[in-house]
Amino acid sequence: MLLFIVRRLLSGIAMILAIAVLGYMLLYVGGGNIARNLLGPDATAATVAQKAHELGLDRPLIVQFGDWAGHALRGDFGSSWFTGQPVTTAIMTRLSVTLSLVLGATLVTAVVSTVLGVLAATRRGWVDRLCQFLSVLGSAVPGFLVALGLVLAFAIGTHWFEPTGYVQFSSSPAGWLSSITLPVIALSLGGIAAVTQQIRGAMIDALRQDYVRTLRSRGLPARSVILRHVLRNAAGPALSVLAVHFAGLLGGAVVIEQMFALPGVGEVAVTATQEGDIPLVMGLVLATAILVIMLNLVVDLVQGWLNPKMRLS
Amino acid sequence: MKLHLRRNLAAAAAAAALALAGCSASAGSGAGSGDSTLTLGLITPVTTFDAADASWANESPYMQAVYDTLLHAAPDGAIEPWLATSWSYNADKTVLTMKLRNDVVFSDGTKFTAEAAAENLLRFRDGTSPQAAYLASLKDAKALNATTLEIDLSQPNPSLLSFLTQNCGLMESPKDFGSKTESTVPDGSGPYVLDQKDTVVGSTYVFTPNPRYWGPKSQQRYSRLVMIDYQSPTAMLNAIKGGQINVGTLIDDNEIDQVKAAGYTIYGEDLNFFGLILFDRAGTMTKALGDVRVRQAINYALDRTALLKAVGDGYGQVTEQIFAPTSTAYDKSLDSTYPYDPAKAKQLLSEAGYAPGSITLTEPESSGFPPAAYSLIQQELIDVGINVNYVQEGNATFLPDALAGKYSSMLMQLKAGPTTWETVSNALLPTSGWNALHYASSTVTQLAHTIQSGSSAEAAAAAKQLNRYIVDQAWFAPLYYPEQSFVSDAHTTLETQVGNAYPYLWNITPK
Repeated sequence: MLLFIVRRLLSGIAMILAIAVLGYMLLYVGGGNIARNLLGPDATAATVAQKAHELGLDRPLIVQFGDWAGHALRGDFGSSWFTGQPVTTAIMTRLSVTLSLVLGATLVTAVVSTVLGVLAATRRGWVDRLCQFLSVLGSAVPGFLVALGLVLAFAIGTHWFEPTGYVQFSSSPAGWLSSITLPVIALSLGGIAAVTQQIRGAMIDALRQDYVRTLRSRGLPARSVILRHVLRNAAGPALSVLAVHFAGLLGGAVVIEQMFALPGVGEVAVTATQEGDIPLVMGLVLATAILVIMLNLVVDLVQGWLNPKMRLS
Repeated sequence: MKLHLRRNLAAAAAAAALALAGCSASAGSGAGSGDSTLTLGLITPVTTFDAADASWANESPYMQAVYDTLLHAAPDGAIEPWLATSWSYNADKTVLTMKLRNDVVFSDGTKFTAEAAAENLLRFRDGTSPQAAYLASLKDAKALNATTLEIDLSQPNPSLLSFLTQNCGLMESPKDFGSKTESTVPDGSGPYVLDQKDTVVGSTYVFTPNPRYWGPKSQQRYSRLVMIDYQSPTAMLNAIKGGQINVGTLIDDNEIDQVKAAGYTIYGEDLNFFGLILFDRAGTMTKALGDVRVRQAINYALDRTALLKAVGDGYGQVTEQIFAPTSTAYDKSLDSTYPYDPAKAKQLLSEAGYAPGSITLTEPESSGFPPAAYSLIQQELIDVGINVNYVQEGNATFLPDALAGKYSSMLMQLKAGPTTWETVSNALLPTSGWNALHYASSTVTQLAHTIQSGSSAEAAAAAKQLNRYIVDQAWFAPLYYPEQSFVSDAHTTLETQVGNAYPYLWNITPK
């Protein structure tokens, strides 16, 4: 197990290096005149040149990247060219918002998908068809439309929730919950279909296995058979889909954060990319890559716990 | 097999719904709730709190909360005393002497002096603010004594006093110069200080009253300021409809009816002109543009009224000039120079020797402007025999390429500054940023010199002459001043600020 973890971590580091190089090159090539973008149309060419020099943009690409990488290896990711805030601070301040959103959406997706998948697999018939219809409907409607509808119905119309903004959990848990509920619902609907289908399919396969017949013949309650045995065996593939979905949610959170004015990493990623704020974008890219790599490692470990056969392979 | 999941899940869902519905709007910022919090919706976060590199326009509220400027501007642009209580120029307007207040203290306890003022001005001139060039003519700034500041100019700057009411005149504590937190934590003498605990840099900025503030209580009407950057116009609109903000900027005028239905008041301000900039007056890239008849034909070919209706939803004012109505150059009569007349346009092109279809303009296209604007203008020019090819430019390259002189003409929205000189220096001189191909005209240079150095009457007359010349020579094909809309809720009133993208903070008051 330890060797497995070490191997995964090493491959993760290699992946992060590759992402860093590729990301930096893409930003450099696609960034246009970053100093001009930072200063806007009214700045003179002389001021733009001065800004470019100040930011080191007049140096060769390889020197710029080497400088950034050298500092990054020492934990110094520089400061945002747009706000002057240290990149580490900017990301850590906002990460809790995005994680609230993404983890909440993942949890909602997992719970709702499990319920729908189990119902569909065990009840079949019209229940199965209804569950599939609902899950596909949820993924067919774009997230931003869902968000708009939720805001109109439950925030602006009824004032049950705030239409925009984020309240820190430490300031008010109730306020935090109020500010995060609609965004989480909007973000989670898209993933429910895929995970539901996965659980449904895996459950149906598992229910056909001999051991299930054996367990039933021994008189075990149906709930126990489904939840303790069948679902556990069916959960593996669904967990992998959920992990992929989590990574996708980090990107999907961008639109939701903008629509609800949530100060998360997604919101700042859009501005930073458009402005060519290389230090901040690189920090975000690396933070996201590390998060996804760690997540995949955790999922692999959980898969091993769920299915002992996987530990041996 | 039967499960009892359904019953249990239904009970759990009902309990959750009741709990969440109870966790409602009390968590908000309190807009309109009866406390003295002012919540502003803005479309950009603050770039930097370092006064030397500060921006203005949409960032002005952030800076006005924490800094004072040497001078203030009334809503109509009239200059008023502030940190500087009086001022006078020498005979040739190259030396400005200002008397300063002696009772001002920065939030770190440092006293505001003429020395601090001089340092701030020089730092701004040498910094990387987008408006650093506004102080390009600043030769030196020095303190004659603790409360007397002398500003030496290499040449007269007719807009200097106006600039000193903006970011050029921001006064930061010298103790803060070069500090590690200078760009994120301001140290000024303004009515408020940044509440770092509740601020999320790049998103939400919270300010509380400055306990050391020297000024009138009218500058500290609120016990808390919250400024929120809304990246999405939809989010801003939802915040308005949800009553979460007291004042905001309306990006899309189509939303006006919804905003009014939410109980908000709309205020309009014409800030910019929207139209074609015909850079290539010498015909070096597109030979045809070197002929004034071709440029005039372009002006005759465009139906400004229809374009305002189709592109601007009717919100704005058609114009054929680039100067703001508040400037000394503005001349209402010039707006009837080029009535919509495609036949006249064709005639001019024919006289210039260009057969239909023989002229092709290549212009950049940006996603920042409505696609309808591009297609309608293209069609109207095709109708008179001028082809237009658009080159799709990304956000990152649109401005840099345009300002680097890659195109002979383009559609753009440019600030129509409140003063004549601001527009002249921005767009008409060979060194102006928006004179991308650096076209030089002796007439313009001569008139600009009179605006700079002449008496008030001479400068005003020269300004009008200059405007007429620019219109007659069709350096531009302006279409209209688009109306920028601001909103305030039922508890708040505001006065728009001429030439600025946001009302000034002290002109936003509780009802």
